Amino acid sequence: MRLDAKMMTLGLVGLTVVVVVGFVLVVLLISWFSNPPFGLGNAPPQPVAFPHTVHAGPVEEGNMGIQCEFCHRNVTKGEAATVPSVEQCLFCHGTVEGQTSAARTEISKFRPVAGADGITPPVMPINWERVHRMPDHVRFVHEAHIRFFTDPSPELMRTGINGEGINGPLSVQETCSICHGDVADMEVVKPKQGQSLKMGTCLDCHRENNVATDCTICHK
Amino acid sequence: MKLSRRNFLAWAGLSAVGAVACEGFGIRHGEFDLQSPASLPEDLVRGKDNWYATLCRTCPSCEGIVVRVMEGRAKKVQGNPSYPTNMGTHSARCEAGLQALYHPDRVSGPMRRSSYRGSGQFEPIDWATGLNEFRAGLQGRSENILVVTEPLRGHLGMVVQKFAGAMGGRHLAFEPMDTVTLRMALKNVFGQDTLPDFDIGNANFLLSFGSDLLSTWVAPNRWNMAYGEFRQGEGRDKRGSFFHVDSRFSMTAANADQWVPVSPGREGYLALSLAYVILSEGLQAPGVDVGRLTGGQGAASLEAFRPDEIAGLIGLPDHLNGHTPVEVIEDLARRFAAAENRPSLAIGGGSAGAHSNGLFNLEAIYALNYLVGSVGVTGGIRFNPESPLPDVPASSGGGSLADWATVASQLRNGQTRMLLLHNADPVHGLPGAMDFHDAMDQDDLFIVSFSPFLDDSSVMADLILPDRIYLEDWGSDLPEPGPGFQTIGIQQPVVNPLSDLDPRSFGDVLLTIASEMGRGDALPWDRFEDLLRDSSRQLFEMNRGSIQAATANEFWNRMLAQGGWWDESATGPGSVAPPDGLLRDIVAKSSQPRFPGLGTSGNVFHLAPFSHHTLMEGQTAHLPWLQATPDPVTTVTWETWVEMSDYDGARLGVREGDIVQVNSAVRGSIEAPVFLTPANPPGIIAMPFGQGREFGSDTATGRPDNVSPNLMSIVEPSQVDDTGALAWASTTVTVAPTGRSVRISKFEGAYRAIEIGTTPAEQIIHTIVPEKG
Amino acid sequence: MVTNRTPHKWGMVIDLDRCTGCQACVVSCQSENNVPINTKDLFQQRRAYEWIRIERYWEGEFPDVKARFIPILCQHCENAPCEPVCPVFATYHNDEGLNVQIYNRCIGTRYCANNCPYQVRFFNYWEPQWPERLRNQLNPDVTVRSRGIMERCSFCVQRIRRAELTVERQERATLDYETMKKRNFLPACVQACPTNALNFGDQKDPTGPVYEYFKDLNEHEEEERKTRGYRLLEEMATKPNVIYLKKVDQFPVSNGGGHG
Repeated sequence: MRLDAKMMTLGLVGLTVVVVVGFVLVVLLISWFSNPPFGLGNAPPQPVAFPHTVHAGPVEEGNMGIQCEFCHRNVTKGEAATVPSVEQCLFCHGTVEGQTSAARTEISKFRPVAGADGITPPVMPINWERVHRMPDHVRFVHEAHIRFFTDPSPELMRTGINGEGINGPLSVQETCSICHGDVADMEVVKPKQGQSLKMGTCLDCHRENNVATDCTICHK
Repeated sequence: MKLSRRNFLAWAGLSAVGAVACEGFGIRHGEFDLQSPASLPEDLVRGKDNWYATLCRTCPSCEGIVVRVMEGRAKKVQGNPSYPTNMGTHSARCEAGLQALYHPDRVSGPMRRSSYRGSGQFEPIDWATGLNEFRAGLQGRSENILVVTEPLRGHLGMVVQKFAGAMGGRHLAFEPMDTVTLRMALKNVFGQDTLPDFDIGNANFLLSFGSDLLSTWVAPNRWNMAYGEFRQGEGRDKRGSFFHVDSRFSMTAANADQWVPVSPGREGYLALSLAYVILSEGLQAPGVDVGRLTGGQGAASLEAFRPDEIAGLIGLPDHLNGHTPVEVIEDLARRFAAAENRPSLAIGGGSAGAHSNGLFNLEAIYALNYLVGSVGVTGGIRFNPESPLPDVPASSGGGSLADWATVASQLRNGQTRMLLLHNADPVHGLPGAMDFHDAMDQDDLFIVSFSPFLDDSSVMADLILPDRIYLEDWGSDLPEPGPGFQTIGIQQPVVNPLSDLDPRSFGDVLLTIASEMGRGDALPWDRFEDLLRDSSRQLFEMNRGSIQAATANEFWNRMLAQGGWWDESATGPGSVAPPDGLLRDIVAKSSQPRFPGLGTSGNVFHLAPFSHHTLMEGQTAHLPWLQATPDPVTTVTWETWVEMSDYDGARLGVREGDIVQVNSAVRGSIEAPVFLTPANPPGIIAMPFGQGREFGSDTATGRPDNVSPNLMSIVEPSQVDDTGALAWASTTVTVAPTGRSVRISKFEGAYRAIEIGTTPAEQIIHTIVPEKG
Repeated sequence: MVTNRTPHKWGMVIDLDRCTGCQACVVSCQSENNVPINTKDLFQQRRAYEWIRIERYWEGEFPDVKARFIPILCQHCENAPCEPVCPVFATYHNDEGLNVQIYNRCIGTRYCANNCPYQVRFFNYWEPQWPERLRNQLNPDVTVRSRGIMERCSFCVQRIRRAELTVERQERATLDYETMKKRNFLPACVQACPTNALNFGDQKDPTGPVYEYFKDLNEHEEEERKTRGYRLLEEMATKPNVIYLKKVDQFPVSNGGGHG
C-alpha cells in the first residue's frame, strides 16, 4: 500500500517530467524548424504544373531540350539563377497551345485571353513555391560555380559534390545537375534525392577542388 | 551516439513531432514565394544591380549622385564620380534621400481637407477630382496666386516661374536662413548675380567669418572636398592655414587652426581693421589699386579701425593663445597678406551676415580679397558663367523677411487668395512672432500643397496633390555655386513609386493644368521630360562640352548616363575691377549691430542660432538617419539643445541635461536641455534650428516640447539693414533653470572626452609642411 | 578562378588632418550595412549602433580650445583581442587582414565586445525594427542581424567579394585602387568621404594609396617613421590594419589645456 503510494507519486513526477521535457523538446524543434536554414522538403505543389521534362528533356525522346540558362537567364551571369518572367513564357506560349488538355489548362492559367469585350487582361505574375532556398546569411554565386565546371582548360582537376571525379569541362546543364539532380527528368521539380546541401557539403566540395574556404566567401 | 549539432538536426528531421510542429507553427506566409514577374524591362537584369546617375535634392547644394537599384528598389546612394561639383563624394544628407523614398509617412495620394483648416484631417480623393478642384481654384482666383517653393534652379525653376506668370501670380522661394544678404554683398563687391566659386582647395590661407562652411553653409560638401586638398592635397608644397572668426564654436571653428572668437556682429569691424593693418604696413599684393579701393585716401580712410581703437569693441578675449587683442589683429592681418601665404581667401556669411549690420559685415569681409589679389584667380574667388540655356535660372535666392512680411499681410487682407506650396514650410521656418500660421488661416484662401510629406504649412492646405520624390522624377539643376564653368545636372527617375503610393510629378501637373486652362503658350510641353529633351537638343546643337554625340538621341542617352552636361571651357568672367571707392563706401556704411531685446534684467545671453548639421532648418527633420546623426561638436541627436560654456553653467548652477527656459523678452520662451562645452564663449548660448514640427512625420514631431522645441519660435523678427533679410543672430535671451532635467540623447559617453594618458587616440604633430611619404 | 588565388591584404589609412568630422561616412555605412535605425532610446541607453563613428575630443578651455575629430571603426587587428575569447569561433581573422564575424555562429556571449579595446562591437539586444516600407531599402548583400548577435564593421566585405568576383574572376583584370573607386567597390565610408580622409586599398599594391604607410609602419619603430602614421593604442600590440595619420596642429593649445 505504502509502496503503491510511493510508486504513484513517482509515476506522477515521472509523467510531469516527461510532459515538461516533451514540451521543451517541442519548443526546441519549433525553433529549429521555423528557422529558414532548414530545407523545405519535397516537391511543393506549384501554382502552374510546369513539367521540366517536356521543356528540358532530351529531343530524342520528343521533348524540347531547352538549355537551363535559356530560361534561368542570370545563372551564368550572377548570383541568383532567377526564374523567367511570364513575358518570357509567352514568347512560346503566345502561340503554343499545349498538346494535352491538361497542358492547355495549365497554360491558360498564365496566358491572358481576350474576353467577350475584346479586351485582353494584363499578364499577371506567377508566385511559385520555392524548392531550394539559401538562408539570408549565405551568398551563393551560381555564375562562379558554372564558370569553374565549364572551364575549358583540361588540366583543371575537378571533383563533384559527393567526391566523384569529373573528367574535363562540363556543360552548363551537367553542372546544374551536380547539385540539383537531373531536373530535365522531373515532372515536378524537387530537390535531388538523397543529396545533402548543408554547409559541410559545400565545404567538402570546396576543399576537394582546392577552392578557398574562408567563411566570408559564402557568409555575408 | 554523440549528439553533435549536425546529427541533432538529423534526429530532429526524423521526428514526427517535428513535422507536426513545422506544419502547425509554420513559416511566415509568403517567405518562400518566388515570383515570375509579368514582364521585365530591357535594362533590368534580374538578380543584378544597376547604378543610375541622377541628382540629389535633399539639400540646396544639389549633388550629382549614382543610385544602386536592384529589382526596382533603390538601395544605396553614392556620389557621381564624374559630376564636377562633388566628384564621387557625398554628404550625410544625400544618403538619406532613400529614406524619403521609402518613408512610412509619405502622403500616399491626393487628399482633400475634411475638417477645419489645420486640423490635419484629410480624405483621400482620386487625381481627376484633385486636378479638377485645383483648376477650379485657379480659375476663380487667377490674379491673386502665390507659388511658394524651396529655392529652385534649373528647369523646374523655369516652369514654376512661367506657370506663376501665366496665371498672373508670382513665385517666391522660401529658405529659412536666407541668402539675401550674402547675394547682395557679393553683388555690391564683385558685381555678380550668381554665387562665385571659392577655390579653397588651391588657396594657401583661408580666413572665414561666421560661415559654418564645413557643416551647412551654401555647399558644404564642396568645401569639405576642397578642405581636404587645402590641408594635405597631393602636389602641394605647403599645408593650408585656416583662421575662423565666429561668435560661437562651430564645427568649422573646430577644424580651423585658430578660432578667433568675436562679439556677435563685429566681424565687419575686424575685417576693416585687418584692411587697415594691411594698407598701413603696405602688405597688399602687388598691382592692387589702393587709390581706387579707398577713394584716394589710402590707409587714412580706415583710421577709425586701427587695431588699438577697436580691439575692445570687437570683443576678442584678453588673451588668445597668449596674445593680446591688438597682437591678434596685427598677426592675423600679416599672415593673411603675407606673400608666402598667397593665394589667400576671405569668405564670410552665416551669423556674420545675420545682424542688422550684416550687409556691412559681409561687404567688408569680401573686400579683403581685393587687397590680397585673390579676385578671379586660382585659389581665390572665381566667378561663374551665365546659364547656357536662356530662361533656365542658374541661381536660386529666396525671399527676404521683408518679402514674407508683405506676403503675410497680403494673405491677411485677402489680396492673395490662392497659395501653392511645394516643399516649403514657412509656418515652421519663419520667426514665431510673424505668426504665419495665423496668416494662412483665412477662410477665403485656397491652399494647395504639392509636398510629399505633411508639415506645419501643408497641414493648412485645402488640397494635397503629392509630388514624387526626386528619385522617382525628372529634373535638372545648374549647381550654385557652380564649379567655375557651365554645368547642367540631369535628374532621372531611377525607380517607380511603390504600388501603394500614387504621387504625381509637380512639373507634370503644372504643365498639364497650364495647357488645359489655355495658358500654356509659355509652357508648350506635355510632360516635364519633353522639356528636358528639348533642352538636351539645344545643348546638342551647341556642339561643345563634355558630350560628343552623333545624334540628339545619343546625346540624350549619354547625358543621362553621365548625369549631366558641362563645358569646362565656358568659364565665367576672369576678373572684375573693384567698384570705385569700395572701402570708403563700406566704411561709410559701418554700424554697430542692434540687439532689440537687450538690456532686460536677469541672465542675459546672446542667442547664436545655427543651422543643424544634418537637419538644416528642419527641411530633413523627417528622415530618421539624419535625426540620428550626432552633431559633430556636441554629439547630441534627436533633440534641440542649449550649448553653454562650462563657466556659465557653473554660474547658473546647471549641469548637462538640465532643462532651462530660454526667454526672448518679447517673443516668448522655449525650454530645452543644456549641453555644456569648454569651448562656447561665455555670455553666448548656441542653439540649432530644425526640430519642433507640430505636424507631419513622427520622426520630426514625436518628442516633447521641452527637448525638441522649434528655435525659430523665439527668434527676433528683425531685419538686416538695406536687404530686409532676417537678422537671425540678433536675438538676446535670458536663461532660467527650471529645476527639471532629462538624460540627454547624445552619442558621447557618460564622461566628457578629453585627451588623457601618454598615447591619446588623436595624435598631433606641430609642423605646417606636409612631409612626403 | 578562386583556386590558387593570391589573397589581398586590405588596410585602411585615415588622415586626421583631412577629417572634418562631417559624419558622411557614418550615414553611408548605416545605409550600406543595414545597421538598425538609432532611435532616441538607443542613444539614451548608450546602445547606438555606429560601425564607424566620429569621436570628438576636447583640448583646453575657452578661448584656447580645440575640438578634434577622429573616426573610429573596427581596427581589424592582426592580434585581435576579440578573437580568442569567442567560445564558438564566430569571430576570426582571415588571410586578407579582415576580422570576420560569422553571424549565424554567434551565440551572443558578448565576451568579444568586453575584450575589444576600441569599443567597436555592437550587440543586438532586440530584434532590429524597420517600418515596413523602409525595408525596401535594405541591402540584399548584407544579412540583417537578429536579436542576440554581435555585429561590427566588416570593411564592407560584400563589396570586396563583389569586386573580386566581377573584376578578377569574370573580367580577369587587376583589381587596383582606381577600379575600386570608380565602380563603387571601396567600403561605403571611404567612397563617401568628401575630404578624402579615408583611404582603403591592398597593403601589397605599391600603386595603391595605403602601401607606403603600411610599409613605413611595418618596417620602422615609432621614432624612425617617415610618415605621420600611427596605430591606435599601439602599446597594446593589437597590430591593427587601420593606420591613422597624425593631425597637424599649427598652434598648440598654449596653456596645456589644464588636464594632466
